[in-house]
Amino acid sequence: MNELLLQGLVNGIVVGLIYALIGVSLNVIFGVLRVVNFAHGEFIVLGAYGAYFAQAWLGLSPLLALPLIFIVFGLMGYGLYFVLVKRLARSNDPEHASLLVMFGLSLVLGALMLLAFEADARSLNFTLDPPFLMFGNIILPTTKLLGLAVAVVVTGALAFFLYRTLPGKALRAIIMNRDAIQIVGVDLNHLSALTFGLGLGLAGITGILVSMIFPSFSPFIGQDYTLIGFIVIVLGGLGHPIGAVAGGILFGLAEQTAMVFFSGTVAMLLGFVLLIAVILIRPAGLFGVQNSR
Amino acid sequence: MHGVELSMENISVAYNGDITVLKDVALRAKPGKVTGIIGPNGAGKSTVLKTIFGLLSTRSGTISMGGRDITNLKAFQRALEGVSFVPQNRSAFAGLSVYDNLLLGCWPFRKDKARIDRAIDGIFERFPILKEKRSSLAGSMSGGQQRFLEIARALVTEPKVILLDEPTAMIAPKISKDIYALTRDLADQGATIILVDQNVRQCATISDKLYILELGRNKAEGSREDFATDGQLKEMVAEWMNYKIDV
Repeated sequence: MNELLLQGLVNGIVVGLIYALIGVSLNVIFGVLRVVNFAHGEFIVLGAYGAYFAQAWLGLSPLLALPLIFIVFGLMGYGLYFVLVKRLARSNDPEHASLLVMFGLSLVLGALMLLAFEADARSLNFTLDPPFLMFGNIILPTTKLLGLAVAVVVTGALAFFLYRTLPGKALRAIIMNRDAIQIVGVDLNHLSALTFGLGLGLAGITGILVSMIFPSFSPFIGQDYTLIGFIVIVLGGLGHPIGAVAGGILFGLAEQTAMVFFSGTVAMLLGFVLLIAVILIRPAGLFGVQNSR
Repeated sequence: MHGVELSMENISVAYNGDITVLKDVALRAKPGKVTGIIGPNGAGKSTVLKTIFGLLSTRSGTISMGGRDITNLKAFQRALEGVSFVPQNRSAFAGLSVYDNLLLGCWPFRKDKARIDRAIDGIFERFPILKEKRSSLAGSMSGGQQRFLEIARALVTEPKVILLDEPTAMIAPKISKDIYALTRDLADQGATIILVDQNVRQCATISDKLYILELGRNKAEGSREDFATDGQLKEMVAEWMNYKIDV
């Protein structure tokens, strides 16, 4: 039993970091733009397809596809900001307006993926040698370990960007006080577009990790990831980038350790129970601050 | 501080396209002088400053700085041109340290590390309390200290024009006195300062020139001396403020 629990904990950390990345990217977009990106999960799935086709057509391993997907998705996000998001951010109620528009975009992207890639679930043909490492009786697939390492590096790089660089601090400053950022001479539009690009770039990277760690992906699972992203950011604190990391790991641990004892459905249910418990005890989330802006 | 003249000519501003909040407002602020704007609530005083800074767009008229038309520049471009704004509402980034707040103030020259160091050292020399609290979160400081941080952040770029919107609102009297002294000092060093203040007596005391706004229009203007001696002006202020000024 102890070994199973330990296996669950290890899986929880791996999956939790993937969830954390989903939450962080969603949270940065929400915090800076007050836009509820309901299409985030679809962009993650697009990232997974990106890795799949980069391998099938260009022979690129998922690791080599990472920077390529990040740049392509980043540019797509930068452009999409000016086409779609800028108008939403200026509306009187960006949260509600964006929720509706992004939900529509989510449906459109899901339908387009269905048309383009068909309904069959796909898997990335990617294994490492050796395929498993054994620590006592705990089995660790090396692709999961690699995914974990990539997630740690990406999260660390993001934390460095947000807390150690001036553009990162400016981005956090927007989250704290959007009205004041223009006073210091920041081009709000440019930084907002960069933020949306960063968010989608991270979604693309997360998609690659999803394709490495989870058995399969299909056009239908985007909204599942969006839902997980929202759970994670509510757990960690709305608009708090690093809070989402804690929320993601906590949710991943709860879900994966619960799977040791219960069925997958019950495990998911326990994740929601955890969410409700956190909301009851700390309505602003683990790292959230009331009236932070 | 090297101030430049800032002028507004026939500026009209409307919210949502049809609610006129400023109508043909004109103003001229000179370097080395404090230009005060007073008026009753809803007169459009803060709107004037927001318009000068580019946070609100104009329907007609021109704004020029040092003879250059800046009417169509965006807020961040005006900041790069040397306009600094301290708004009435809290604008310090509460979750960032004092140092990081000042660092963000250096955004217009963010690639010049040596200039950033010089600018922040200069601020620490002028405001020792900020040096003492350089690692503290801005949100952990008192209201007065946060206001000094906001003013310091506005000064870090050595701006040509400084816009101060109610800098002493909800600030303890002792700190307010220091803020007025600092305002006067900055003007004496050459900066162009435009001050909006509800405290008519103080505003009239430190301003070299005063504009009175009413319902979004210029009502009257005059020098400090005019307001001290001109009975008509005194009466006008007394009328909307039920307040007598002695300067």
